[in-house]
Amino acid sequence: MRAPPARADAIQVDRWRFYTLAPALAVYLLLALLPIVNLVVMSAHDIRWQQGAAQWTLVGLKHYTELPRDPLVRAGLANTTLFALLAVTAEMLIGFALALFVSRIVVGRVLYRTIFLLPILIPGIVIGAIWKLMYNPDFGIINQLFGLVGLAGFDWLGSGRLAFMSVIVVDIWHWTPFVFLLLLAGLESLPEDIHEAAMLDGASAWQELRRVTIPMMLPVIVVTLAFRLIVSFKVFDEVYLLTGGGPGTATEVLSFTIYRRFFTEDRMGYGSAISVVALFVLTLVIVLFMGMTRRRMHTN
Amino acid sequence: MIFNRGAFVHSLLRPFIALAALVVTTAMATWGGAAFAQAGAPWPKVSPITIVINQSPWFGGFSKVVEAYEKETGNKVTLDVNPFAGSGEKQRNSVRAKEGQFDILVMNSAWLAEFYHGGFLTPLNTIDASFRLDPQVMSYDDTGYWDATKKSNNAKTGVVYGVPINGNIQVLYYRSDLYEKAGLKVPQTWDELAANAKALNSPPNVYGMVQRGARSASDISYDWMPYLHSYNGAIFRDEKAGDFTVTINSPEARQALDMYVNLAKNSGPPNPGSYGQAQVIQALLTGKAAHATPVIAAWPQLDDATKSAVVGKVNVAVLPHGPGGRTTPTLGHFIGGIPNNIPKDRQVAALAFLRWFQSYDAQVKYAQTGQPPIRIDVYDAPFMKSPDYRWSRAILASLPNAKMMYTVPEGPQIASVLELRLNQAVLGEKTTADALNTAADEIHDIMQKAGYKTARLPALK
Amino acid sequence: MESVRWHRVGMHAVLALGALIVVLPVVWIGFAAFKTQIALLRGDFLFTPYFGNFEELLFSKASDYPANFFNSLLVASGSTTMVLLIATLAAYSMYRLRWPSWVPALVLMGSLVFHMIPPITLVGPWYVMFRSIGWDNTYAALVLTHVALNLPIGIAVMSVFVRDIPLEIEEAARLDGCSTPQMLWRIVFPLVGPGLAATGILVFVFSWNEFAVALNLTSRQTATVPVAIAKFAQEYEIKNGVMAAGALLSVIPAILLLLFAQRHIVKGLTAGTGK
Repeated sequence: MRAPPARADAIQVDRWRFYTLAPALAVYLLLALLPIVNLVVMSAHDIRWQQGAAQWTLVGLKHYTELPRDPLVRAGLANTTLFALLAVTAEMLIGFALALFVSRIVVGRVLYRTIFLLPILIPGIVIGAIWKLMYNPDFGIINQLFGLVGLAGFDWLGSGRLAFMSVIVVDIWHWTPFVFLLLLAGLESLPEDIHEAAMLDGASAWQELRRVTIPMMLPVIVVTLAFRLIVSFKVFDEVYLLTGGGPGTATEVLSFTIYRRFFTEDRMGYGSAISVVALFVLTLVIVLFMGMTRRRMHTN
Repeated sequence: MIFNRGAFVHSLLRPFIALAALVVTTAMATWGGAAFAQAGAPWPKVSPITIVINQSPWFGGFSKVVEAYEKETGNKVTLDVNPFAGSGEKQRNSVRAKEGQFDILVMNSAWLAEFYHGGFLTPLNTIDASFRLDPQVMSYDDTGYWDATKKSNNAKTGVVYGVPINGNIQVLYYRSDLYEKAGLKVPQTWDELAANAKALNSPPNVYGMVQRGARSASDISYDWMPYLHSYNGAIFRDEKAGDFTVTINSPEARQALDMYVNLAKNSGPPNPGSYGQAQVIQALLTGKAAHATPVIAAWPQLDDATKSAVVGKVNVAVLPHGPGGRTTPTLGHFIGGIPNNIPKDRQVAALAFLRWFQSYDAQVKYAQTGQPPIRIDVYDAPFMKSPDYRWSRAILASLPNAKMMYTVPEGPQIASVLELRLNQAVLGEKTTADALNTAADEIHDIMQKAGYKTARLPALK
Repeated sequence: MESVRWHRVGMHAVLALGALIVVLPVVWIGFAAFKTQIALLRGDFLFTPYFGNFEELLFSKASDYPANFFNSLLVASGSTTMVLLIATLAAYSMYRLRWPSWVPALVLMGSLVFHMIPPITLVGPWYVMFRSIGWDNTYAALVLTHVALNLPIGIAVMSVFVRDIPLEIEEAARLDGCSTPQMLWRIVFPLVGPGLAATGILVFVFSWNEFAVALNLTSRQTATVPVAIAKFAQEYEIKNGVMAAGALLSVIPAILLLLFAQRHIVKGLTAGTGK
């Protein structure tokens, strides 16, 4: 067995233990803690401005009891959850497939990597504006292409269900590069000999995937999934320019509701309550999910 | 005494030089002053100021006017330009801070009530007791005045807080070329408009009427207000007097909504619920709309060949009205106010700009950039008679009746309710009676929670 | 059971299809930058190139695009560098410097929770904080807030890669008398190359495209590209052409950067995987 480290070594490690974690903690304490606390405190108050000064009135849980009766919040929660599940699943599958293929080919790697990253380089508002034009039933290029092959065009953003799917398509186009990038990085840091060993063993592509690649990639997959889920719950840019939450409440998403209530209607207390509830729901989802995968990883 | 020529000349020269200097200086001052000032009033030198404003079609015109101010007076003005929603946000941050960043706030009617009720603005007379809003400046539903005790915009009982910057209201845009071809007359009532729209409706090339049926922070509710008001309906019974009985589900309101929904059904595009302001204007520009009612600020695009397919083919008239009502466009205008939380010298400088801005010459310059001036007398200027300004008659006739959509800080919440329910009505998800009843319930709820004196009408059947 | 082999042709076919779907809208944006508004609205296929959009973007009264571009570059580079540094240090600390296991769990959980908060609710407190120390129009404020916004993903991703470093390498280095700074410099950073590259690209892009905070914490001099572009999405007219021109001008350098960076990534990879 190895000899225990010398005392000086241990002290040095202890000191560096703090130095290396301190910057991150500093950022969080100074910039993250204050707004979170502020949010929770606001959610228990009513805030009005009079004579140039703020007046905070404690209302306890009043906002939280109002939430279930708010039609936008109900629609927002339902839509956002469905949106997140559908969009993120599609993005994970497509992103993984693309990353897998790009990691296996030789010719055109750099080209494909660059191309597949393009959508996230473009600002969200531009994506929203351009896709809105493309979806235009009269002049949009999508319906024009449909017309070329003899199909009738659709009113992509005009009717409830279809509008919802159209927004998901834009999200997939926008965010699959995120998944692609992380999973590709994960794949490229796997030891090369594993793939060769699997091939020599005569494993089929599916077997290799299931027994070797995915288990080894699990940490990256989990992180990617978690962050993609969180970010999709915050979806805003696409909805803002494409549909504004309509038609009706078909594409109303939580972050949009929060934006509407918190900012446009200047109801900071109530808007904070919606944020806190959304946080809660999301945290629950993530914790459950992490719990499940941790068990999976340990049994491996 | 010996005549000392040197001393004599010296003693004569000195006063002479002094006199000459005095003459030259006065001449320079007068000439310089005349060169910088308008005919008449000399403009004082004040501190530099920052105006916070949003990017918009009329911004170009406004910035030209600001340049003229800088040249004429030698005072410096910085423009902080933002996207529309962003401007409101930044203004809000600035007035709530200890010391404000911005000296003149260009506030849209959407957040004007919030700023008045919040007490963030300073009465202009506390900066200069002699300041008056020029009588030629239009009223804009008294939004330049505020009565802090009664909490309402009232020119009689309130004091002046702001100068209008842009008088944006809705008008009726129509295809004059199609009118000529079909021999139609400009409609006075909504029924006449409906008939004209039906006549010109030939989908999918041209839709008789394109409306802002979409749901957003302010689309369909803003679009529908002129119908409501011109049918003698209203959201509240008497806002100015403080009676907030909810009357959104009155029989008159139902008539107004029926007219709106039927127009969409009979002469509108297949998906009226997805047309926001930009889409309506696009429909006009691409020639797809025979009628529409966007604000006058959209006008400059129509005669621009890089943006419009219908240059010279569109004209503007006052909005129609309901039976027994008057044309009542909704105000979407901007007021320039001065916040409390900036130092006195910047307040003085800001007021100097506003005072200059409301002058006749400044407004002529403004109108010449294609924007509706805030003074009535400018409308009689000769250049306003040319076809480039064919919108001016309609604006002048419309402005006296223009109304604010809401004057309470709860306004955006009310708008939110109306946006959803009206959108559902136009999509056919709810009947008009149902939509209005639900809206009435929700608005009543909001007003009650906020502590206003309110009541409800019986439900529509 | 039928065994599926790695078909080269099949993979290329799928990739090519994917590339097409990705590229088409981007090309469309490229064309849009040269179309007049009416040509865009009418969806004209054939059009005469129009340079007015670029003129308006670069030379009009209200525009400072070159300055905005520089600001974005500064802020994005600054925040990316800081995130990569802070995140890797934190990841190494948590997983290799013998903290009790609740520490990394708490930090990670806190990161996730913080990441869930919509930025618009953060802007208010941040504005007040920075204004009270007079920093509300500075690069520093924007860089720091962007670091805060992107640290969660930085820490999460770098944690994965740091934990992948084989313990034997570290133990060998310790036995050789390697101090922690030397360990980081000689072993950790080089070996997490792919992680750094991926995180770096993501953080750079997120910072570059960030809008809500940038809008409120900047003024004319410090405004970034998204704030500039957003001005063209107006109430009465979404100036699609100008926005497309703005997007084009900001994407091209990013693409060049990517191509350049990838050469380094490949180099880093072949050096790093000598595990």
